[in-house]
Amino acid sequence: MAAPSLARGMLVRTGLTGPFPRSEALVAATRDLDRGRTTPEAVEAIYAVSEGEVLALEHRLGLDTVTAGYLRPSDLFRPFAETWEGFTVGPLTRWFETNTFYRQPILHAPPVRVPGAFAARLPPPLRAEPTRARAILPGPYTFAGLLDNRSGETEPALIHRLGRLLGEEARELRAAGFSSVQFTEPLLVVRPPEGPRAEAVVAGYREIRSALNGGTSIVWTYGADAGPAYPLLERLPVSVVGVDLADTDPEGIPEGRGGAGLGLGVIDPRTTLAEDPAEVARLVRALYERRRPPEIWLGGGMPLDLLPYEPATRKVEVLAAVREALAAGGRP
Amino acid sequence: MTDRKLFPAQEIGSLAKPRWQILAQRGEPLDARARAELSAADGRLSFAGPLAPVRDALLDGRSREVGPDAVRDLAALYFLRYLEEAGLDRVYDGEARRIEMYEYPIRQMHGFRFLGHVRSFDAKYYLKAAVTDEVRLERPYHVEEFDFVRAHARAEPKLPITGPYTLADWSYNEYYLARQAGWKGRSARRAAQRDFVVDLARRAIRPTLAALIEHGSRVIQIDEPAAGTHPDEADLVVEGFNAATDGLDAEFIMHICFSNYRDLLPTLLEAKRCRQWAWEFANRDSNDHDGYEVLRALRDYGDSREVGLGVLDVHRDTVETPERVAERIGRAAKHLGDPGRIWVNPDCGLRTRSLEVARAKLGAMVEGAALARAAYENPRR
Repeated sequence: MAAPSLARGMLVRTGLTGPFPRSEALVAATRDLDRGRTTPEAVEAIYAVSEGEVLALEHRLGLDTVTAGYLRPSDLFRPFAETWEGFTVGPLTRWFETNTFYRQPILHAPPVRVPGAFAARLPPPLRAEPTRARAILPGPYTFAGLLDNRSGETEPALIHRLGRLLGEEARELRAAGFSSVQFTEPLLVVRPPEGPRAEAVVAGYREIRSALNGGTSIVWTYGADAGPAYPLLERLPVSVVGVDLADTDPEGIPEGRGGAGLGLGVIDPRTTLAEDPAEVARLVRALYERRRPPEIWLGGGMPLDLLPYEPATRKVEVLAAVREALAAGGRP
Repeated sequence: MTDRKLFPAQEIGSLAKPRWQILAQRGEPLDARARAELSAADGRLSFAGPLAPVRDALLDGRSREVGPDAVRDLAALYFLRYLEEAGLDRVYDGEARRIEMYEYPIRQMHGFRFLGHVRSFDAKYYLKAAVTDEVRLERPYHVEEFDFVRAHARAEPKLPITGPYTLADWSYNEYYLARQAGWKGRSARRAAQRDFVVDLARRAIRPTLAALIEHGSRVIQIDEPAAGTHPDEADLVVEGFNAATDGLDAEFIMHICFSNYRDLLPTLLEAKRCRQWAWEFANRDSNDHDGYEVLRALRDYGDSREVGLGVLDVHRDTVETPERVAERIGRAAKHLGDPGRIWVNPDCGLRTRSLEVARAKLGAMVEGAALARAAYENPRR
């Protein structure tokens, strides 16, 4: 991973936190493939070009972690639901408060991980640049909570088991040279767990931390105000916890010292209105002063594929501009 | 409630466009496959009737000479007969003239700018616009389309139109959000969305509905598939619906799909002029999950409106058996407590399925409704 920017005492890292939109060329190609008007080989070539374009954008803007866009997976769970044993792919289900849908994984028996299956589905350019890459997986709580559990296993047991299995994925990624692994966990703030579920989440992330062996573990949330979930978020044994400022009341982020890095979703893909970098920088610095985290990680809140390609590109440029504004001295 | 037969069948939305329509609208001559499809379809349905010269011109390779409007007329006639032949009691034209349910209405309004495609799921996308100025209707839409349907339909026409909340939710809100001061967080977004929905309802949808009613439209389905996206905005769905239908006299239906309906209740019940809820159920119904159980909530709230019961999963090619459809209807009737309020329909538009699969599903639906009807009318059989 590249060295973080030092912005007036803050260590600031930037990076995309979810899939980037498909380019209009890729939209046309995948549509044509769906309708039998082109070949998988032709679409594969466009995927390769598109991944290269996103990666080039991430490099040009100096983002600290890169993703190559995660353009291929149909949803966050499909790489697992289609490859791990115990799953089938179920009905279309709404993805939180968006007009996008995922196919709900149906779990018929305790899941069994298939080694190498997820890594094989990572964007090919990432495998060539693993130290700067951000691998993005579902978090165990969101995975367990959004699948249709017909396995007979209780939800807390399943959360813990998925933590262990996802930890094994992280171990495999770490061995392949990946240094940053993000676990996407909107459900942690949309439906904060309590009691045994909350304990299972913490236990699951202990498994992940152990498996990551010094790598950076990121929990990224969005979709609701993170304030009520903070008591649990602060217990997670991870490197960074990200919250979406489009949904989170900044005043509800508690004061603190040290602990995990503070991730902030500062660009909102639900609107094409560009954020004001100076205004965002002021907010980030105020939150930094209040919480004094070891690092600030800036990214999108919800995934940027809620936008068309061009507006998403402009939004990512805002991310870089915020970093510059912080370096120039955004004041609380 | 009415003297209608039990479990009448209705369509719910768009159908896939046949190859001959796509090629002919582009002005391209039909290839052998498209010619064969057109000939076979007309042989089976005898739909061309007054448009036989258009059909003949297409079969002769003279698409350009015919022009796209006449092709759309022929396609609309085809879909009317296709749905009527399937045995539906309420029909429309398969939305043969529409691009889809968002882009077309937005293009009839002032204040929007299209920005590009956004993925909905898998390889399904839609073109998305931003509202950049105050919404204003350029001209009422769907009116000529309805005139054609009314002139040619043998079954009762039911016109679908996208609702104000969905048009707002599927757009980027620039103009109304920019009017909000300060950080554009949740409360600013909500206030801006309310302004947007109400403007759409009052300035665009209501005048369009009024024009359609003036032209004789009696059954109008207001599509709000986005209603379940933000359950805490159910009040905005209702406010938009009530503003759009304010003072209008027609049989209004609200179609919602792929949502958790319980989250929208009881707020949704404040939709004053809604006579029927047309919801998706089959997608979530399986051997070990009762997708229709939510109907109990309507009974618990004392709601006595009709229900348009989704009995066909529109996202899978597997054709439901008539027995499966009948079993679903029977189960739903028990939950609802009144079989007389049930219409049957697909979960949503069948446009993602081939016309062959869609026809087989519709046939199974009509047959299943007949089985369920027979079971109610002759309970001892």
